[in-house]
Parts: sequence; structure tokens; C-alpha cells
Amino acid sequence: METINLLLELFPYALLGSVLAGVICSFLGVFVISQRAVFLGAALTQVSIAGVAFAFLHLINLEVMLGSLLSVEVIENSFLHHFEHTFFSLFFSMIAVFIFSQSFRQKLITQDSLLGIIFVIAIAIRIMFIQKSPVAEISEIEAILKGDILFIGVNEFYTMLVLLLIIVIIFSLFSRQLKFVTFDAETASAHGINSGFWLLFFYLTVGIGISVTTRFVGDVFTFAYLIIPSSVGFMTAKKVSHVFIIAVLIGAVIPPVAIFFAFIFDFSSGPAAVVSAFIVFIIVYFIKKIL
Amino acid sequence: MDNQLIKLSDLTIGYKNKIIHRNINFNISENDFIGLVGPNGSGKTTFLRTLLGTLKPLSGTIEKNEVRFGYVPQRDTVQPLLPYTVFDIVMMGRYSLKGLFGRLSKEDEIIVEESLTKVGISSLRFMSYNSLSGGQRQRTLIARALAVKPNVLILDEPTNGMDTPSHHSLLNLIEGLHDKGRLTVLLVSHLLSDVANLVKKIILFEKDNFQIGNIDEILSEENLSKTYAAEIKISKIGSQFLITQKHPQN
Repeated sequence: METINLLLELFPYALLGSVLAGVICSFLGVFVISQRAVFLGAALTQVSIAGVAFAFLHLINLEVMLGSLLSVEVIENSFLHHFEHTFFSLFFSMIAVFIFSQSFRQKLITQDSLLGIIFVIAIAIRIMFIQKSPVAEISEIEAILKGDILFIGVNEFYTMLVLLLIIVIIFSLFSRQLKFVTFDAETASAHGINSGFWLLFFYLTVGIGISVTTRFVGDVFTFAYLIIPSSVGFMTAKKVSHVFIIAVLIGAVIPPVAIFFAFIFDFSSGPAAVVSAFIVFIIVYFIKKIL
Repeated sequence: MDNQLIKLSDLTIGYKNKIIHRNINFNISENDFIGLVGPNGSGKTTFLRTLLGTLKPLSGTIEKNEVRFGYVPQRDTVQPLLPYTVFDIVMMGRYSLKGLFGRLSKEDEIIVEESLTKVGISSLRFMSYNSLSGGQRQRTLIARALAVKPNVLILDEPTNGMDTPSHHSLLNLIEGLHDKGRLTVLLVSHLLSDVANLVKKIILFEKDNFQIGNIDEILSEENLSKTYAAEIKISKIGSQFLITQKHPQN
């Protein structure tokens, strides 16, 4: 009890933020797995980090750019300055999602190969960006790039809360389009639903979710929570709604519990959250195998 | 257009840099039953996609007279990872009629129930699509197409990969939908015998050419042998066609 009180006192937003990050990733993970696009998650986490690394080059100053676009003078705007890394992370992810969405139209290269290329190129350009960055030590930037649950503050918490609300609203409001195009895009198009547009729309939403959570809690946590909770949902549920409920419950409960144990046993919180989710996955897997 | 549902005029189909077929001119009328046959890569899918409106024609026009398509894709094009029930999937047929924010109503549920009954799978309505046999899955997809309340039903290789009883049972169902339901049906199949025994007209796709006509006009050994670049034999057992490839004697 004492440890919990201490954690709540020291890292209140980290605990709450870990719940939000877990819920966002596991919710989106159901979509990603249903589309057999798991590697998209891996590629987007790396693209997102490359976007943040690009921001460290300071080649484009958002404050100046927005000021000139809107013909206003923006001086030392702390929000814009704070937002700059997230903006480039999102921007890079959106480009990657757009490229991926166009891959459905061609037969020259498989989607897996394309995602593999995006994945390695993102890592390579991240390294190059960091090497040319005018600030700080490379190891310091690497640490910032990869995010950490314990660094979640009030801004990150509210950003993720708004993001979660937007994602839930989008997926609820357009659930029919989502169901049809993800199950059978060809027939949806034949029946007058623009599958290309809707798939791009849902993939962009996924891209935003992955980009923001990667920025705040790191690539390992984000990718793991995209895949593991939803995989447990797919293994156990017999209804579509139950897949979402099981995935989201795991995404919400495991991270704060993992932070608690990481605190007691002096582990890093992100990897502890990933390993904890994996333990749940393994237990469920063997129970399903036995039953 | 009287009882004409679709009029194709001077149609050229294909992709950006590649014309697949040109000078397509024919009409599809109410209660037509048309089979689309031809070797792989002869343009059947391109034609279907153009007809359905998911691919723009390169030139020419397609006039549609109050046409509503019900489309049944090949079974392996769907992604059955999420555990949708049969009812969920058939209900998808109603989605395109509801607009962006329209709500599903009791009437939609009744139409879905009717569609399930028509294809004989009412008892499976709460079962997961993943747990069904190939024949049951195909019936689910046909029920979804019927839930659109179509006047033209298009089926793409509906009997692919099915065992013989399911195969014949499904062909009977399709025939029944055409005869009793007064549906215009377009059936794509690589099984020539199936098509010949079921449909009234045939569109025979060849590379760079296509023919349309009644069964008797299109079905000749010479014609099919030329199209498939193989020796094709047509036999008749009673009223049934049996179309096979002659095997060279060694």
C-alpha cells in the first residue's frame, strides 16, 4: 500500500498515462491484426521515431513557418515548441501510411516487402538525422526519441486522452464502414462504399495513434501493446465486441500493474509492461491449448 | 430501355496503359442468365469490375436502368479473422443503403432474415463465419448479396473448392434464385460444364477478343478449343452438357 501511495504521489500521470497508452494501442491493435498488417505497426513505430529525430535537426521551424503562413508574428510559443517533435512524428507516419495504402493498387512489390523497406529506411534515416543533430549527445537524443512511461506528464496525459476520445468516436461513428471494408473491401466497393478512401482513413487514424503513443511511451511498448492484447482477444473471444473488450482490458490493467512491480524490483517500466503482457499471453495460450 | 437493365456501348476496358477488350456492345435485360467464361487472364475480372463501377472504362458508356447489384466475391477474398456471425455478415449487405450516418432498423433485420431463409441457412444465423464449411460460407455471401435487394446478382467463381454435393446444391440454389426470384444473374466460372448447363447466354472471353451469344451459338468444340488453346470435347448426356479436355493418347 505504501508503494502504491508513493507511486501515485511521484508518478500520477505516468500511471494514468500508461492505462491510456495501453488502451489506445490494444484498441487499434484489433484493427491492425484483423487486416493482417502487424508489420505496419512495427514500421510505423520506427517511422514515428525518425520523425522526432528529424525535428532535432531544426531544419524547419514550426513557429516561423506557421507565422509566415498565417501572416502573424509568433515569438517563442512554448506550445508550438513542445508540439514540434510530435508534429514531425505524425507527419512522417502519415506519409508512410499513405505510401502503404497505395500498395493495394500495385503488384510490383508485396505489402510485407514494402513495410520491411519502410522499417529499415526509417531506422537508417533516424541514425543519420541524429548524427547531424546540432544538439546534445547521441545517447541522450536516443533516450528522448524512444519515450518513457515514467516521463508522461500532464500534457502527454491530456494529449492521449483527447486522442483516445477521437479514436473511439471515429471507430464508433463509422463502425459499419469499418466492418465492411475490413472484412471484404472488394464487395464493399461493388456495393458503393469507397473502400480505398475508408481504408486510408482508418489507417491514418491508426498511424496517428501509433505515432503519438510511440512518442510518449516508446516503440517497444507501443508495438507490444498493438499486438499482444489484441492477440489474446482473438484467441479467446467468440464475438467481435468481446475481442475489443478483452484487448482493451488487458491494455488498461497490465501497464500500471507492471509499473508497480517494476518500481519494487527496480526494472525499467516499459520493458516490464511488455513482459507482463507477454506472460498473460503465454498463460492464455496454454490454457486455450489444454481446453 | 424497355426491359433492358444495362446497355454497354462502344466500351473499352482495361487499365491505364493496357487495353484488355474494346468494342464491347451488348445489353443485359431483365431475367437474363449469363455465364462469363474464358481462360485465366482473359479479362473476366476486369469486365466485372468495370460493370460494377469499381474500375472506370477507358472509353464508351455503360447505361444502367435502375440497377442494383448484389455481388458475391470469391470466398478467399474475405478476411474472416474477426469472429463475425452469419447474421453480422449478411447485415453488411444493408450498410451501403444507409448512407454515412443512417441507422439500421427493424426492417433491415427482417430483410436479413428473409435473405438467410432464401439461401437455407436461417439456423446458422448466430454461428461464427469462421466455423462454417465452404458451402455454408458461400451461402452466407450470397445471402449478403440478396440483402441488398438486388435486381442483378453477380457471382464470381461461387463453387470454387467445394465438394461435389455442396457444388450441385449451390448451383441449384443459384438456378432457383434466377427462376423463382426473377433475378438477372451473371455467373463467372472456369467450369464450362456448370455454366453450359445453367445459363441461357454465354460471354466467352479470349485474349483480345470476346464473343457473346446463346449457348448453341458459342458452344462448339472448334470455338472452345481455339479459345483455350487445347482440344475440347463437348458431349451430351441426356440434356446435360459435359465439356472436357481431350487427353492426347500416348
